[in-house]
Amino acid sequence: MTEPIISFKNVSKTYILYKNDQARFKALFFKPKNPKTNKALNNVSLEIGRGESVGIVGDNGAGKSTLLKMITGVAFPDTGEIQVNGQVAALLELTAGFSTEMTGRENIYLKGYILGLQASYIKTIEEKIIEFAELGDYIDQPVRTYSSGMKLRLGFAINVNIEPDILVVDEALAVGDAAFKKKCTNKIKDIIASGVTVLYVSHNAKSVQEMCSRAIYLKKGTVVFDGTTEETLKVYEETKAAEKAKKKK
Amino acid sequence: MFSIFKEHKGFGKQIFLLAKDELIKTYKGAVIGPLWAFVKPAFTIFVYWFAFSVGIKALRAINVDLGGTEPASFDFFTFMFVGIIPWFFIQDSIIQGARALRNNRQFITKVKFPVSTILTYTALSRLFVHLLLIVAMYVYVVLKVGVSWYNLQFFLYCPLMFIFFVALSWSTSPMSAFSKDFENLIVSVMSGIFWLSGIMYDSYGFDEPLRTVMMVNPINFFVNGYRNCFLYNRPFYANKTELAIFIVEFVVIFVLGIINYNRLRKKLPDVL
Repeated sequence: MTEPIISFKNVSKTYILYKNDQARFKALFFKPKNPKTNKALNNVSLEIGRGESVGIVGDNGAGKSTLLKMITGVAFPDTGEIQVNGQVAALLELTAGFSTEMTGRENIYLKGYILGLQASYIKTIEEKIIEFAELGDYIDQPVRTYSSGMKLRLGFAINVNIEPDILVVDEALAVGDAAFKKKCTNKIKDIIASGVTVLYVSHNAKSVQEMCSRAIYLKKGTVVFDGTTEETLKVYEETKAAEKAKKKK
Repeated sequence: MFSIFKEHKGFGKQIFLLAKDELIKTYKGAVIGPLWAFVKPAFTIFVYWFAFSVGIKALRAINVDLGGTEPASFDFFTFMFVGIIPWFFIQDSIIQGARALRNNRQFITKVKFPVSTILTYTALSRLFVHLLLIVAMYVYVVLKVGVSWYNLQFFLYCPLMFIFFVALSWSTSPMSAFSKDFENLIVSVMSGIFWLSGIMYDSYGFDEPLRTVMMVNPINFFVNGYRNCFLYNRPFYANKTELAIFIVEFVVIFVLGIINYNRLRKKLPDVL
C-alpha cells in the first residue's frame, strides 16, 4: 500500500446520553458520573491509501455516519488519532451549509472559503460548477428561491468540482431527476477513475460492488471485516443471514 | 489554544457576507423592512420617557456629579437617550449571542465550518444596526448638546464593546447550545439587568460603597462611556477606578471565553 491518505488509529467515540435536561446542565460544570453511553465507534483502526475506492457497509447505527463525519471534520473522536491528508469533499448533506439569502454564486464562494480555497482558484472553477448544476440564470438569485432539486444540484456540483483529494459519498444520494442522477453517477465514476480517493457508504451491495474494489464492514462500532469488496460483502451477507436465523428461533 | 483566531484567518470577507445575510434574514418579508431597526428602539425610548417624565413627573432633569463644584444638570430625555443606545446593542448581544450557535446549527452539525466565526458575523450584523442608531443619535446630540472632540472616543468605546460581548459569547453560546436551561437563564435575567444598570439613572449617583459596587457591572462602563463621549465631554480615564475594574473584567471574560470555547467546541456537533 502507498502512503495512507486517511488513517484511523484506535479511534473511539462515545455519545453521552443525558438522562434529562438537568443532567445536561450539570454536565456543563461537572463531569457526569456513570452516564449512559452509546459507543458509536470502538477502537477503530484503518488505513486508506491514495486513490483507493472503499465501500463501507453495515446496518443502521453501525457507526458509518460517525466515521464519515470524522473524516469530513464535523465530529471529533474521544480517543485515538485521525489523520486526513488532503482536501475532503462530502456528498452527504448537499443542501446543508448554504446561506439562504446569498445567491448561488456567492454560495459557491462561501463553500470554497470554508474548504480553505483561494478566491482566485474558486474563480477558475466557478463556471464549471454553474454549468454542471444546470441552474442557468438562477445562479444569481438567492438560494431560498431554489427548488429542493436545484439546491441539491448546486451542492453536488460544488463538491465534485473543487477537485478534492478525498470524496465521501452517501448512497442515499438522490439528486434531481433521472437524467441528472445518471450524470452524477457518471461523474463519481469519473472521479474514481481519475485517482481520487473515494469512500462510499451504502446498504446496497450491488452499488458497492460497482463502485469499490475494497470494502469495510462495520458492526456496532467495530470493524468486523476489511478486505476486497467480494469477501466483505460475503461476510456481511452471512452475518445478516445468521442473525435472521437466530431471531426466527 | 488560539483556535478562535485561527478560525478567523482568511475568512474576513465571508464574515462580512454572512453578516449581511443575517441582516437580510432579520428584516426580509416586513413591509417597512429595515425601518424596524428604528421603530422598535424609538418606541421603547418613547415609552420610558413617557413613563418617567410625563407619568411620574419627578424625572425631568438628572444631576450628575462630574467632579465640578456643582453637579451638572442634564435633561432626562437626553441623558436616557445617550445611555439606552448602547444598551440596545448590549441587550441584543447578550441574548442573541447566547442563541447564535443553536440558531446556526446547520454550520456545526452538517459541514466543517469555522464555528467561532458564527459568533463574529452575527455580532457584526448587530453592529451595523447599532451604527445606524448611532447616526440618528448623533444628529440629536449635535443639535442639542453640540460637537466636541470627546465625541471621537466613540471609536474607542464601540469596538471595545463589540469585542467584549463577542468574547462573552464564546462562553455563553456553547453553553447555551449545550443546555437550553442556560439560555433561558440568560434571557430571564436580562430585563432585571436593565434596571440594575445605570441607564435610566446615574450609576455614579450613590454613596460609597454602592457607588463602587455599581462599577463592577461592565454595562455601566459602556453606558457611562457613551455619555462621556456625547454628553459629559470628558475623557475615558476620568474615573480611574471604573476603568481599572473594567480592564480586569475584560481580561477575565476574554480568557474564560477562550477556555470555554475550546472545552466545548468538539462536543457541539454531538449535542446540537
